[in-house]
Amino acid sequence: MSPSRYHAAIFGATSAIATETLRSLVATRPASLLLIGRHAGRLETLAADLRSRGAECRVLALDLLDPEIPWHQHLADTTWDLFLIAHGSLPDQETTLTDPHLIGREIDINFISPIRIAAACTPLLEKQGKGTLAIFGSVAGDRGRASNYLYGSTKAGIDAFLSGLRHRLAKHPGVRVVLLKPGMTDTPMTAGMPKGPLFSSAEKVGLLAWHAIQQGKAVAYLPSWWFLIMNLIRHLPRFLLHRTKL
Amino acid sequence: MPAMKRTLASWGRIHPCTADVDSPAWADSIRFDASPALAYGLGRSYGDSCLLDGGHVIETRFLDRILAFDRTTGLLKAEAGISLDQILRFCVPLGWFLPTTPGTRQVTLGGAIANDVHGKNHHRSGCFGNHVGNIDLLRSDHSRHLLRPGEPLHSATIGGLGLTGIITAAELQLVPIRSACLDVELVRFRGLDEFLTISRESSETWEHTVAWIDCLAHGNSLGRGIFIRGNWSEHGGLDPHPAAKLAVPIDFPNFALNRFSIGAFNTLYYRRFPGRTSRIHQHYSPFFHPLDAVHGWSRIYGKRGFYQYQCVTPFEAGAEPMNEILRLIAASGQGSFLAVLKTFGDVASPGMLSFPSPGITLALDFANQGASTLDLFRKLDDVVRSASGRFYPAKDGRMDPADFFRSYPRLDEFRHHLDPGMSSDFWKRMHA
Repeated sequence: MSPSRYHAAIFGATSAIATETLRSLVATRPASLLLIGRHAGRLETLAADLRSRGAECRVLALDLLDPEIPWHQHLADTTWDLFLIAHGSLPDQETTLTDPHLIGREIDINFISPIRIAAACTPLLEKQGKGTLAIFGSVAGDRGRASNYLYGSTKAGIDAFLSGLRHRLAKHPGVRVVLLKPGMTDTPMTAGMPKGPLFSSAEKVGLLAWHAIQQGKAVAYLPSWWFLIMNLIRHLPRFLLHRTKL
Repeated sequence: MPAMKRTLASWGRIHPCTADVDSPAWADSIRFDASPALAYGLGRSYGDSCLLDGGHVIETRFLDRILAFDRTTGLLKAEAGISLDQILRFCVPLGWFLPTTPGTRQVTLGGAIANDVHGKNHHRSGCFGNHVGNIDLLRSDHSRHLLRPGEPLHSATIGGLGLTGIITAAELQLVPIRSACLDVELVRFRGLDEFLTISRESSETWEHTVAWIDCLAHGNSLGRGIFIRGNWSEHGGLDPHPAAKLAVPIDFPNFALNRFSIGAFNTLYYRRFPGRTSRIHQHYSPFFHPLDAVHGWSRIYGKRGFYQYQCVTPFEAGAEPMNEILRLIAASGQGSFLAVLKTFGDVASPGMLSFPSPGITLALDFANQGASTLDLFRKLDDVVRSASGRFYPAKDGRMDPADFFRSYPRLDEFRHHLDPGMSSDFWKRMHA
C-alpha cells in the first residue's frame, strides 16, 4: 500500500535549501504542497519542477513581511502534516548596520515574519493534535560572532521562540516543533564566499532537513557534525574567541 | 547580491581567470551589468572556452529546475544550469536516458549545448545538439528569444561556445531504456588498422563504441588497445547512479604521473582479461562515466594542471595520420592512461561550430610540463593539419588560431549571430 498523501505548506518556498528539502520530500512519498512566497513567476517555476517529480502543487504569491495581508484562509480545510518556514536573508552586515531601515528589514525577514507565521500555525497544530512545524534557523544563532551577529541574533531569537513553543505544545504528543540549523551551505546566498571543506551542498542539507522533519527532531544540525563545531565555539573562552576572525 | 570578484578555473586548471561573478538563483535575475559577459556552468571545459578574465561571468549552476517532462514522449524541458547528473537521477527511474552523453555527467545542460558534446553513440545518434528542441536564449541587450530547431540562431547556439547569449532553458528529447545496464563486449586490438576494422564491423550492431588506447606502447605494440562496445540491456533494473564515494582531496605531487607509473598502469589495463574478448553486464555509470566515481580526479595531475588534446582526422586520410600521432606521443614519453579513440559517424549536427565530423578522433590528457608539452603539440598539429583534421574548442587551451579559421568552414556564418556583449578567453585568444 502506498503511503497517504503528505500535506505541507512552505513559507519562503523558493529558497535554495527549501527547494532541496521539497525535492527530497517528493522523492519519498506522494505530496500535496502549498508553495508560498513573494514572487509568482518563481513559485510557478518551482512548482513545475516539483510537479515533474510527482507532487501536487498550489502556489500563493504574497508579501509575507506585510502583516495586513491575510493568508490564513488558504490553510483552512486541510489537515497539515507540515508547516515549513524557510525564508531568510544574509545581508552584508557592515552596510546594513549603518542604515536603521535596513536593520529593521533584516529583522523583519529573519525574525518577525517567521514568528508571525509560527504564531498563526500554532492554534492549527493544537486543533489537529498532530503535525510538524519546522523553521530554518542557523548555526550562526548559537553564539554571536563579529562576522555575522546581526543575522546570528535573529536566528538565536528563532531558537528561543521555538524552545518555548515546543514547551507549550508538549502536551500534544503528535505535534513536533523542529529547529533546522544548517551550517555553511553552497547556495546563491553564499555564492561569493570561498568554498572550504566545511561547506555542504544544498542537496545534502535539504535531504538531511527532510530526515529531521520526518523524525520530528527538536533541534537538527545539518549536517550533524556542526553540533560538535558549534559546541566548541559556544564554550570557547571569550578571550580566545576575541582572537579569532570567526 | 552584487557580482563578486572570484577566481574560476576550467577542468585543466592551467589558466584560471579572475572575473566579476554573479550566481543568480533565478533566470529573471540575470543582469548584464558589465561587458563582456559569459555563462559558466560547472567548469568542465578543459581549456579556456568557459573562462573570461576581467569580464563578467554568470554562473548558471543554480538554475537547475525541471520545467516540464512528458512521461509518454520523453521530452524534457529544464533550466540550463541543471547537470546531466541531476537529469539522469530524475529520468532513469522513469525509464528514460540522455540521447547521448559525454564522458562525465558533471556538465550542465547549457554547457552540453554550447559545446555540442558527443558520446559513444555518435555514429548512430550524432551530437547532443541533434536532440535539442527549443532553446530559451537571453541576449546581452536583455532581449529574450525562443529559438526553434532549424532557425539560424538555434544552429549558431548549438556548439556556439556561449557566444550567442545565455541559454536559460532548453528542451531535450530523451530516449527510452528498459534497464540502467548495458551488455558490453571488450575486444583487444593490436593496431589502428584492426581498430578500424572492428569499428566498421561494430557500427551496425553496437549502439555505443569507443576504444581505450595505450599511448605509451611503441614498436610492435604501437596502437594496441581495447575496443569497448555496448548495447542497452533488457534487464538489470532502473536504478540511477550512486553519488561519488571517492575523492582526490589534494593535488598529487607533479612526479606522481610519469612514464613508468603510466606505462605500468597501461600494461595492466591492456592485460586485464585473458583471451581476445570479454563480455560483461555493466551499469551505465562505469560504462559512460568511469571517472565520475572519483570526485575531483583532475587533481592527480598536480598543481601544474593538464591539457587535453582532442583532434579528428577524416576517414579519407586513413589510419596513417593517427599512427604518426601515436608514434610521436610514444616517442615523447608524455601522455597518460586517459587516451580515447573513436570513430565519428556521418550524422551531421545542426551546430555551426560543432566539432565532430566523419573520421577518427583521439582524445588524450597530458600533464602540463610547459614547453616540452607544447612542442609535442606543435608536432601533432602538423600531422592533423596535413590530414585536414581539426581540434575541439571545448578541450582546447592552445590551438593555433589559423587552424581554427581553416577547419571550421561555417565560422563566417556563425559571426552574424555573435552577441556583441559576450566573449571568452578562448574567443579572445583566437582573435588576438
